[in-house]
Amino acid sequence: MKEQDKIPTSRLSRTGSFIKTGAKVGGNYLKYYSKKLVGEGSEEELHNDNATDIYDSLSKLKGGALKVAQMMSMDEGILPQAFSQKFTQAQYSAPPLSYPLVVKTFRSQLGKSPGEIFESFTKSAVAAASIGQVHEGIKEGSKYAVKVQYPGVADSISSDLKIIRPIVSSMFKISSAELDYYLEEIEERLIEETDYELELKRSEEISAACAHIPGIVFPKYYEEFSGQRILTMDWMDGKHLNEFMETNPSQEVRNRIGQSLWDFYDYQIHEMKRVHADPHPGNFLFRADGTMAVIDFGCIKEFSDAFYENYFRLIEPNIAREGERFEKLLFELNFLLKDDSPEEVKHFAKIYSEMHQLLCVPFFSEEFDFASDDYFSEIYSMSERVSKDKTLRKAKAARGPRDSIYLTRTYFGLYSLLHKLGAKIKTPSAVHELFA
Amino acid sequence: MESEANKTKTNDKQELRYRMVEHYQEYVLLNGKEPPSIFSFCKDLGINEAEFYDHFNDFSQVAGAFWTKSFSSIKKMLTEDTEFGSFSVREKYLSFYYAFFEEIKKNRSYALLSFKESSNLLKREARHLMELKKDFKAWSKELIAEGMSNEEIASRTKISDAYDNLFWMQFIFLINFWIKDGSKAFEKTDIAIEKSVHFGFDLIERNALDSAFDFGKFLFQNR
Repeated sequence: MKEQDKIPTSRLSRTGSFIKTGAKVGGNYLKYYSKKLVGEGSEEELHNDNATDIYDSLSKLKGGALKVAQMMSMDEGILPQAFSQKFTQAQYSAPPLSYPLVVKTFRSQLGKSPGEIFESFTKSAVAAASIGQVHEGIKEGSKYAVKVQYPGVADSISSDLKIIRPIVSSMFKISSAELDYYLEEIEERLIEETDYELELKRSEEISAACAHIPGIVFPKYYEEFSGQRILTMDWMDGKHLNEFMETNPSQEVRNRIGQSLWDFYDYQIHEMKRVHADPHPGNFLFRADGTMAVIDFGCIKEFSDAFYENYFRLIEPNIAREGERFEKLLFELNFLLKDDSPEEVKHFAKIYSEMHQLLCVPFFSEEFDFASDDYFSEIYSMSERVSKDKTLRKAKAARGPRDSIYLTRTYFGLYSLLHKLGAKIKTPSAVHELFA
Repeated sequence: MESEANKTKTNDKQELRYRMVEHYQEYVLLNGKEPPSIFSFCKDLGINEAEFYDHFNDFSQVAGAFWTKSFSSIKKMLTEDTEFGSFSVREKYLSFYYAFFEEIKKNRSYALLSFKESSNLLKREARHLMELKKDFKAWSKELIAEGMSNEEIASRTKISDAYDNLFWMQFIFLINFWIKDGSKAFEKTDIAIEKSVHFGFDLIERNALDSAFDFGKFLFQNR
């Protein structure tokens, strides 16, 4: 990896690079409209141009902004497809830390240099994580993955989010009230993510609780070689999703991995009520034998029983037909607000019922083929339709429970992983116990 | 016998020097300012003024001893480290800065006090850093020569002679940054080190400038 030569440092210069993007994006729109006047230019092309410019400036940032980019790329319901493809690249593009800084971090966190702990230790990073980088260490014949966090990440999260807010809000046509509601929850999770001691604790808890699920492996974590900004775990073999798919795994292997993924998430959400809420491809390693390793527990979302019950009631079969009960639920969950007019209530209830019914189709089939494009284009067209809905756009208030942000993200992420895998799997779910 | 006596004499001398530096630091830390006069300073130590001038000319030199001492102990630590020898020059500077600020952190309140008087470091008034400047620049010259021999640093007529000054300015910038740094565990200083060293080396390694100059020269010669 080449060390990046110019990283905007101060808040001012970061803002600068965003302003430049803003101007460029404006230019793209101009280009689009002028091309449209003479009868050429497609909306797709516009999205592509914009995505490139936004991505270029985001990739110069680290920490908070990069995470938001990742998150937006996951939440394909929010983003048009072209954006999401560009953003997915952001996961692999942060400039690496110098080795002397890695040594310094080791000394201040563990009191020893990497050379004193490991027999061999790679001087440069073998992989980048969004808020740190991974080195490979060898000790007594075993291989370890050592994650080292960038300094100052926790500090920069709030300011990064402040910078990104106005741009994202105008870019994606989300009102800033709605966005703030998102960002507060996101900020909380991001700050948790900078605490590697917390990550270690949670990793151990979740791996122990999910040990019974076949096909999933977890690394062991080493407390004595970990600190707030260093996390040491077993080295896991396997390939990232895109690479893995290039090896043309058999349908059977893909199904087996897909099944493990489904079981893993269903167990976490519906039994543990505590979920690894960051299912982007970089957090899993896939193997030819149809097993899969989970390697990053930075982002965990926990939810209360009360929220769980209310939220998943929404997908109870036929609940939309019981008008009053359904509306009451929507009010409780903040999807409907006190100030909504009766027409709005009716209109929104219809939208939400359609949305949830569509998203939970897999829950109500015995088997589901995630390879099918039909289902996903239906989701896309639905979210395009919702984002263009005039009544919804006019009502600028934030809607929906804050707790659902990461839950939705998890399901979007899971579905998109399963789609990319092209897995056809059985989809039993513990959610049915709720309706029994 | 005679050499034995000489040895004790130098030992005594060094010990006195050490005592003076210690006492000066303690005084400044407790009183927030320099001792009122060299006379009172010597009286506290029970020595006569002449002995003071054997070692220092004024207080700024005593104050400078803290910086040169920190510098030489870090330099020694690094040169004894086996890994350090295999580093690139860029990494050597990075290691030095990280280790140096880790070291002076132990005496941060003293370091802050020593800059109370001369608030703007970039002005050349920080007289107590003069000795450090000499040592640091001498060491930088060695590293720059090493960098040029392994082609990490581009050798440019006239300009490259001033590189040791550039590194000194960078060092002063970092000290200044650290003095003002209020971040947790001085993480911002770490970032400043990382970025300023990369920036510096991107300027002095062979880059577009050299090709531009080379190309310009060619055009000029072949008009």
